[in-house]
Amino acid sequence: MTEPVDENTLIKQAQSGDRAAFEALLRTYYDVIFRIAYKWCGDKADAEDITQNACIKLARSIDRFRFESTFLTWLYPLVINTAKDWVKRRVRNKTTNIDAVAEPAEAPTGDGKVFARQIMAYVRRLPEKEKEALYLVFSAGMSHREAATVMACKESTVSWYIHEARKKLQSFQAQECRYG
Amino acid sequence: MDERQLTEILKADDVPVADENARKRAMNLALGAFDEAQRDKEKNRQGIGLLGRLIGRSNNRSGRRPMKKWHLVGGMATAMTVVLAVVTYDVAKDRGLRFEDSSEERKLGIIGSGKPASRPEAERDGGQVRSPGDRAPASGDKKSREIFAKDELQAKPDRRLKPSIARPSEPAPVQPPVAAILQSPPRHSGQGAASGALVERLQKRSSVTRKAVGQRKLRQADDASGRYYKDVGRDQFQQIAENEIKRVGDAPVSTFSVDVDTASYSFMRRQLNRGVLPQKNAIRVEELVNYFDYAYPLPASRERPFHASVSVTPSPWKKGNKLLHIGIKGYDVDADVKPRSNLVFLLDVSGSMNAPDKLPLMVNSLKLLLDTLKPDDTVAIVVYAGAAGTVLEPTKAAEKHKILAALDKLRAGGSTAGAAGIRQAYALAQGTFDKKAVNRVILATDGDFNVGITNREELKGFIERKRKTGIFLSVFGFGQGNLNDHLMQTLAQNGNGVAAHIDTLNEARKVLVEEASSTLFPIAKDVKLQVEFNPATVAEYRLIGYETRALKREDFKNDKVDAGDIGAGHTVTAIYEITPVKGGEPMIGASRYRSTESAKKPATKFGEEYAFLKIRYKLPDQDKSTLISTPVTVANEIESNAKGDAAVRSRETRWATAVAAFGQLLKGGKYTGAYSYDDVIALASTAKGDDPFGYRAEFINLVRLARSVSGRSGK
Repeated sequence: MTEPVDENTLIKQAQSGDRAAFEALLRTYYDVIFRIAYKWCGDKADAEDITQNACIKLARSIDRFRFESTFLTWLYPLVINTAKDWVKRRVRNKTTNIDAVAEPAEAPTGDGKVFARQIMAYVRRLPEKEKEALYLVFSAGMSHREAATVMACKESTVSWYIHEARKKLQSFQAQECRYG
Repeated sequence: MDERQLTEILKADDVPVADENARKRAMNLALGAFDEAQRDKEKNRQGIGLLGRLIGRSNNRSGRRPMKKWHLVGGMATAMTVVLAVVTYDVAKDRGLRFEDSSEERKLGIIGSGKPASRPEAERDGGQVRSPGDRAPASGDKKSREIFAKDELQAKPDRRLKPSIARPSEPAPVQPPVAAILQSPPRHSGQGAASGALVERLQKRSSVTRKAVGQRKLRQADDASGRYYKDVGRDQFQQIAENEIKRVGDAPVSTFSVDVDTASYSFMRRQLNRGVLPQKNAIRVEELVNYFDYAYPLPASRERPFHASVSVTPSPWKKGNKLLHIGIKGYDVDADVKPRSNLVFLLDVSGSMNAPDKLPLMVNSLKLLLDTLKPDDTVAIVVYAGAAGTVLEPTKAAEKHKILAALDKLRAGGSTAGAAGIRQAYALAQGTFDKKAVNRVILATDGDFNVGITNREELKGFIERKRKTGIFLSVFGFGQGNLNDHLMQTLAQNGNGVAAHIDTLNEARKVLVEEASSTLFPIAKDVKLQVEFNPATVAEYRLIGYETRALKREDFKNDKVDAGDIGAGHTVTAIYEITPVKGGEPMIGASRYRSTESAKKPATKFGEEYAFLKIRYKLPDQDKSTLISTPVTVANEIESNAKGDAAVRSRETRWATAVAAFGQLLKGGKYTGAYSYDDVIALASTAKGDDPFGYRAEFINLVRLARSVSGRSGK
């Protein structure tokens, strides 16, 4: 029933108020947003909440997309900011020590998928800025300069964040191997 | 890790599929927001059109505006603002009166169901507590009610409801004029041009208000959308290392404090019912065993508050080993002899309590407790983490309706208020303090402990000091995903109270009704056990459970060291696994350099003894402990299938053994050899007994669940 429409056209239609176009856009991008949210927070229910907020945010700010980059590149920081806000609000309301989250008692193995999961778990616990830089550069595929624009800092700062994050990952990896 | 690997991992596709409902919800909300945005755009365009028509659209688009326009625009704006101010003032004042009405209406409908209260992020004074108002809404005020009702559904951020109970009923002279104003728009009666214009503006205002209301509702829906706040995966448990096997030669004495909490059992049950194995740290074997009531012999007389019986049985999971059971049974308090209770409920009403297994369950549980109270018991309610403060001053249980009303008005919502939650609660308890009564603060939470004292150590110290003045504390946890079990346990212990986890109404009934006496009435405090094993007969021993209750040897006699309490009717069980010298195979190898103790033969008078049990306890109002002791001898051995009098004892020890085995299996089964869930089921099935409430049958089903769940994970 729906003919394949060029994405930019779809966005333009949505911006001019075409509800069906926006709905189609949402349907396509829901999973993408969810994936970004999940990778950020690591929890399905949280990701669903963040995705919900991000979709609403998108509805309100779709006009601001200027076609200067791909839609995904523009969308990425929107989702991440929503995720950050969400986590911040939640943390503010609890006095529990978030660092003391009990980890599942899984012995570290060198197995590929498990390893990736462990690395992801570690990445999620990195300081916010480093985490964001990592995501924007490696997951969204931005350049350091593009990420700097999004994060509102200097390009060199982004490089520094990435460098720090990778240093930490190296030592974490070394630890794992020792026990693995 | 190189860039390529990092990219791969970060891009990796190990993401679960989002819930279909969540997706639908998000889509609907986003589309709603989209529509809203479109309407706003439309309104702006229209607005300009209306003004343009009034003023005369200037062809001059370069930005130069004739003064005339500004005057008119400014004038209209001011006029509108004034009108708005007047209406809002009237409406707000009236709303103060009307609030209860709508709440009454809704109360008749659904009680305690989770309303779309805002998530903690909406900075609102949650825990909307309203004073009772039983005025029927004036007739014909449908429109105003509609507006108010809509506002009900989402709290206005600046709405501040004082949680005081004694609000005098306000006269209602303000109602008619506002009602008249709001009602007139549809009628457009000939009230003169001036008021007609006023009315029209009001109409526009109200439509704008309604839109704003709708938008606020949407923003609210942002956060909760009628869904319950779901905490997942943030439960905190203390890391504990299981008790190891100890060599009698090296450490002949074992000392520990009694524990009557049952939180671990509820948590375990909840996890298994969800289809997951509970965290190992969440399992405290002694709490699993103590969940059940055991038919141990009662104390002979009231002088001694409890009776300790011991028995020895063969160990089912290690050939040659034996299990030493210690069973303590406290006497129950007769209903007419029960002391008075002064209770203060300190309730968590943060946003996260907005789930069916949290606030509503808590309210219902407290109602159950209320039913067990005597007419001159007093109840007070203080809330924290949302609104903070006294919801109900100390009220006699005889005035049940007042207490019920206060409970029903509790709403979850809002974020931390900080304030004086716990201090307030204790202050109230102090106010009604009666030396001869039970004075207790009951803290009910889902994990938020922002009760007004943020420093954990300070909180513990505070509770301890209050305990010394005679006001005790019990902690009930609700829901899951956000429990701070460790803190719960610590606080309850410091407060001489019970920590329980209430996951279902049935559990609430068990803890608060059946076990009301034991939960509320301590019969002995600071109960400590010390067992000394006889090296001639026992080579090794291992205490099953009680890792978090271990005491130093010298703590036993030191009355200043706090320990657990026993409530009326409580039973406490402790099990040691022992390796006897005769017939047992010790796990700890013989020492190469030290001569074996068993070479020396001690006096034969101890030849029949396995161990010597000492118990110290204090009566609730005493500070000095009393010592009772009993030897554990060969005469205490019972066969697994004993008959006659010993049959009951045998059955109860078999049951305790089965539960202990299950607990150990859940913790990894380090010491239980090849014992399996099937073995537990087989053993438990022989020891069900009467089981009037079905708890034991439930346990066997839980073991079956655990078996299938663990089978799935390939254990």
